[in-house]
Amino acid sequence: MKLPVIVERGTTPYRAILAAVVAAGVLAALWGSGLEPFEQGQVTRFMIYAVAIAGLNVATGYVGLLSVGHSAFLGMGAFTTGILVVHQGWEPWATIPAAFGVCLVAGLLVGLPALRIKGLYLAMVTLAFAVAFPELVARFDGLTGGSSGMNIPRLSMRPPEWSGFTLGEKDQWLYWLGVVVLALTLYVTHCLTRSRYGLAMAAVRENEIAASSSGINIAVVKTLMFGLSGGITGAAGALFAIYMGTLFAEGSFTLMAGITLLIGLVIGGERTIFGPIIGAACVVYIPYYTSSIGQGQGSAVLFAVILLLVIFLAPSGIAGALGSLVNRFVVVRAARPRTAPPSRTGPAVSSAEPERGPVLAP
Amino acid sequence: MDIFLSRLFAGTTSGAVYVLIALCLVMVFRSSSTINFAQGEFALFTSYVTWWLAGKGVNIWLAVVPAILIGFLMGALAERWLVRPVRKRDETAVLIVGLALFTGLNGLSGWIWGSDEKPFPRMLPTGEDTYIDIAGARLHYDTILIVAIMAAVVAGLTLFFNKTSIGLQMRAVATNPDSAALCGVRVGRVLTLSWGMSAAVGALAGPLLVPLVPPGQLGLSSMFPVLIFATAAALLGGLDSIKGAVVGGLALGIGLAMVNGYVTFLGGSMSLTSALVVIVAVLLVKPTGLFGARRLERV
Repeated sequence: MKLPVIVERGTTPYRAILAAVVAAGVLAALWGSGLEPFEQGQVTRFMIYAVAIAGLNVATGYVGLLSVGHSAFLGMGAFTTGILVVHQGWEPWATIPAAFGVCLVAGLLVGLPALRIKGLYLAMVTLAFAVAFPELVARFDGLTGGSSGMNIPRLSMRPPEWSGFTLGEKDQWLYWLGVVVLALTLYVTHCLTRSRYGLAMAAVRENEIAASSSGINIAVVKTLMFGLSGGITGAAGALFAIYMGTLFAEGSFTLMAGITLLIGLVIGGERTIFGPIIGAACVVYIPYYTSSIGQGQGSAVLFAVILLLVIFLAPSGIAGALGSLVNRFVVVRAARPRTAPPSRTGPAVSSAEPERGPVLAP
Repeated sequence: MDIFLSRLFAGTTSGAVYVLIALCLVMVFRSSSTINFAQGEFALFTSYVTWWLAGKGVNIWLAVVPAILIGFLMGALAERWLVRPVRKRDETAVLIVGLALFTGLNGLSGWIWGSDEKPFPRMLPTGEDTYIDIAGARLHYDTILIVAIMAAVVAGLTLFFNKTSIGLQMRAVATNPDSAALCGVRVGRVLTLSWGMSAAVGALAGPLLVPLVPPGQLGLSSMFPVLIFATAAALLGGLDSIKGAVVGGLALGIGLAMVNGYVTFLGGSMSLTSALVVIVAVLLVKPTGLFGARRLERV
C-alpha cells in the first residue's frame, strides 16, 4: 500500500477515525472515574491545567500574542468562584460561566495594549499583570482574605441535587465537571481554529500587514482572542478553586504559575489540539514523580532541559512531532472541490489543492 | 526633612541596585534586541558561588572574582550555543530559551546548594555607627559605597564603549549588524562578548545587592523582584541606553521609596505593582523610554 494513506474529510474512513478518537476519550474518562481518590485528584488537576493551557494556546499559540501572565486569569477565575460561593452563596458549578465572563472582560482589557505593543513588549505587559495580581489580592483583603487565604467551606461545595452525587462524592462530581469543561474547551478551540476566525488568527500571527490588507480587522481579532483566551483560563481557575478549597494568591497564582502554563504549552505543542493535554500531563506529573531528585529541584532542571530540547528539535512541541510522525502514514485533508472535473487529476491540480493540517495538528 | 532625606538615601541605595542589573539588561538588548529573562538567575547562580567560596574561608572580595569569571562564561556560552541558533527563527523562541535558562539555573542552584535561605556575608561595611549624620538622617557607608561602585561600573562601561576598539565594534553591531559585518566586525564574537560581559556585571552586582534587598539573605527567589524592578528601570530609561538605565534605575528607586512613604492608601505593599504601572505606562505612551533610540520599521 502506498504511504501515506490519504483520508478526506466527510468520508466514511474519516468518520471512523473521528469516532475512534471520541471513543478513546470516553473510555479514558470512564477509566479515570474508577481510580483511587488520590490518583483521581491528580487526574482532575491535570484536566484543570489542560483547560488553562488550552486557553493560553488561543492567544499565544494561534494568534502569537506571547503571554507569561495567564496565572492572573487563573487566579481571577478562582477568586470569582471563591467570592461568589462564600459571599453570595452561589452553587460552585454555576460560578464557572461567571468566572469565564469576568476573565473574558479582563482579557479584553489586558488585550487592548496588544494593539500597540508587540512581541517582547507585550510579554512585559502580561508579566506586569501577573506580578501585580497577588499584590492586588493582598490589598483587597476584605474580599479575598488577603495573605491568610480564602477558605471555601466544605459544606457549600455540595454537588447539586440533580447530579445525583452526594457531598461525600464531591471529588467524583468535580472530576466529571472537569471532563465536561475540558471536552467543551477542546471542541470549541477545534471549531474556532477551523473557522474563518481561525484563518484570521493565523494570518495575524504570520503577517499583520498582509492580514490587514486582506480585510481582517486586526484589532478585533487580537483583543477578542485575548479575551477568549483569558476567559477559558478563568474557567479553569473556577475549577481550580473548587478543587483546592483554599485560595492563596501568593502560593498558587504567582508569575511562576504563569511561566508553568507557558512551559506546558511549549512542551506540549503550540497550535495543536492535543498539545495542551500533553503539556498539562508534563507539568502535573513530572514534578510529582521527580520530587525526590535534587532536593526537590529536579523537576525545574528537567523542565529546562525538555524546553531546550523542544525548542531545538521539535519546535511544534511533542504533539506537533507526534502529528508529523502520524502524517507519514495517514494524512487527513479537506475533500476536493466537487466542481473539479474528475479527469484532470494530474500533479498540477493536486499541488494547487490547499493542504489542510492533519487531524493531530490542525 | 530628616525623614525625607532618609527615604531619599534608602531609595538611592535600591536605585543603585536596579541600575546595576538594568545595565546588564541594556547590554544584552543592545546586542540581541531581547530582554534576557534569565539575567537575574545568572546573578543568582554566581551569588551562590560567591557564598560557597566565602563559606570556605575565602575573603568575599576575592570570592567574587571566580564568580565573575563563571558568570562571563555562562553568559557567553548561553549566547553562542542556545540563543544564537534560534535567533533567526523568531522572538518567541529566544524568550522561551530565556525562560528555560531561568527555570534551569534556579533549579540547579537549589539542587546544588539547597532551597533554604542562606545568611550572606556583607561586602559593604555596616554596623551601629557606620553612617554620616546629615540633618538628622543617616547616610550609611554602604549607600555611599554601592553608589560609588555603580558609578565606577557606569564610567568603566562608558569608557569601554567610547574609547576601545571592541567597544566601538559593539556599538556598531547594536546600530546595524549588517553594515558592521560588512566593515569587518565579527558580529558573532561581539554578541557573545556582550552576553558574557552582561552576566559578569551581574555576577559583581549579585553579592552587593543580596544583603540590601529584603529579606537580606540569599534564597532561590532573591533575584526575581530585582529583575522586575530592573526591567521597569531599563524600560523607563530606554532599553538600549546606558544613560537611560542609570536615570531610570535611580528614578525608580527614589520614586518607589517616596510613593511607599507618602502615598499611604497603597498600604506600602504595592511597590511591585507600582513598578509595573510604570512598565505599562511607558510601553503605552513612549515605547522607546526616555533615552532610547527610535526604531523605524519598514512597511
